[in-house]
Amino acid sequence: MNTLPQQLARLPGWTALVLWTAAVLLPLYILVVSCFKTTAEIYDNRLGLPQSFAFDNFVAAWTRADLGQNFINSLIVTGGAVILTIFVSAMAAFPLSRYRLGWNGIMLGLFLSGIMLPIRLASVELFTLMRNLGLLDSLTGLILVYSAIRIPFAVFIFANFMRVLPSELDEAARMDGAGEARILFQIVLPMVKPAISIVAIFTAIAVWNDFFFPLIFIFDDRYKTVPLAISVFVGQFRTDWGLVFASLAISMAPILIMYCLLARQIREGVGTGGGVK
Amino acid sequence: MIARRRKSSLQRTQQHMAVLFILPALAVYSLFVLYPLLMSLWGSFFVWRGLRMLEYAGMSNFTRLFVFPSGGRLYGALWHNVAWFFGIMLFQNGLGLLFAWLLFLREKGAAFFQSVFFFPAVLSPVIVGALWRLLLAPGGAIEWMLNGLGLHQGNLTVLGNSHTALAMLIAVDAWNWMGLPVLIYTAGLRQISGQIFEAARLDGAGSGRMLVSVALPLLMPAIGTLTTLSFINTFNQFDIVYVMQGVQGNPSYSTDTLVTYFYRLAFGAEGAVGITDIGLALALGTLLFLILSIGTLLMLRFFDRRTVEL
Repeated sequence: MNTLPQQLARLPGWTALVLWTAAVLLPLYILVVSCFKTTAEIYDNRLGLPQSFAFDNFVAAWTRADLGQNFINSLIVTGGAVILTIFVSAMAAFPLSRYRLGWNGIMLGLFLSGIMLPIRLASVELFTLMRNLGLLDSLTGLILVYSAIRIPFAVFIFANFMRVLPSELDEAARMDGAGEARILFQIVLPMVKPAISIVAIFTAIAVWNDFFFPLIFIFDDRYKTVPLAISVFVGQFRTDWGLVFASLAISMAPILIMYCLLARQIREGVGTGGGVK
Repeated sequence: MIARRRKSSLQRTQQHMAVLFILPALAVYSLFVLYPLLMSLWGSFFVWRGLRMLEYAGMSNFTRLFVFPSGGRLYGALWHNVAWFFGIMLFQNGLGLLFAWLLFLREKGAAFFQSVFFFPAVLSPVIVGALWRLLLAPGGAIEWMLNGLGLHQGNLTVLGNSHTALAMLIAVDAWNWMGLPVLIYTAGLRQISGQIFEAARLDGAGSGRMLVSVALPLLMPAIGTLTTLSFINTFNQFDIVYVMQGVQGNPSYSTDTLVTYFYRLAFGAEGAVGITDIGLALALGTLLFLILSIGTLLMLRFFDRRTVEL
């Protein structure tokens, strides 16, 4: 259908798109092949495939650098924060979006103001609070702080999804004698599954990637999360490039897997809501 | 009568249930976000010794912030944040608009390119920073490629050079988040009715002309969202600097930002002896809070007024 001049006119555009694709994929390609190389091999042969696909660097990163423990810590913190955030936010959003209370607007506003608040600036007082509560060097402490930070966004998403459900839904259930908790958990929540997945995805990404709060609250190596451990490795194993590349690869693996499975949901979630960070 | 009584008793139970339902979220949010934030703002007006709050100090923490020796640090960091914001607006959001437009014109392959462009955005800035630190290091892959192409000779020291380090960090940040403007702009472009572009094309507008005169005014809400998000993210910038250049913003504070400076004051890495100055840290926090909230409000209003309704 397109004539040759039309196709030629599109060439600069395609070139720009392909160049940025290369700019994204080339560093990731170097990361992947370097994981299988010794440091000497990385210097000799930067872009080529490794001589053999040995897993020495991964084993060293997992055991010698103890990334395994960090990985488990990150999984616990991420999982805990996702579950707690979804649970309390869905509970709060239900009456705020479906009851006529007279104070829905003010309360929603209070929650929503938290989406913009720069919580890092409160870290001194937060540190004192955590120390007084005995929550320093504690994964529970991180779970609570992350949930608190993610609650505003989660309440916002849940309230938006719950508001548009037909009101006959809960009225009919009430007629049948269902309690409010049952209406929320057995009738309303199953109908807002897309909201649950949006909240879960973006909470998981934000928590898994965060570095600032472990940096100020965690001192004991046993409780360090992956990003905190990586920031130490980069300095500590500076000469052992293979090991650092391998630990980078391990730390992004869960996010990579999730991204491949959920790319469409993530693209749509960001495109319409701008829901990251 | 019975119906009304039933209704009011329903409303009473609803009031009670609402409090029960809201309480857990409100308690966690108030305790770990609202309370520390309010206490930090309040504490910036007091004298501190270590982590202990002493007597009322009026504005003295704030005046100390602007004079020697803190003044130089403050203005340096502030300037780096401002430069970072404009760098991101131009390089990330500007280039992102161009990519989004190119993808909008080609129905084929848009999903693939969007997925690739957005992938770095799901990675931790720590991972991104560490990766680019290895790639940009002397003897690293970028040096080898540039030397191989004949564009550069010898060791690549862009991260160790105070004239180029900040620009490198901004570029890495843009690499990290390029997918965000691409996704938000393509979503915005798809909401514009196809008839508008059709009419412009019948009037003889080329694709560049259509982008500037037709799409851009209609994209104001998307531009507003991105500008505000970039502003907030830039002025919270910490991770990339910490991982790539250290908490001092090396070399010689040339990549220092307001939050790295805040971190040093609050958690003790400022100056040769590395003592904390909580009063100064909280004053800086309050200043940053004001910059962020006033800046955000002004931007939201600015873009709200320029939104074109059709």
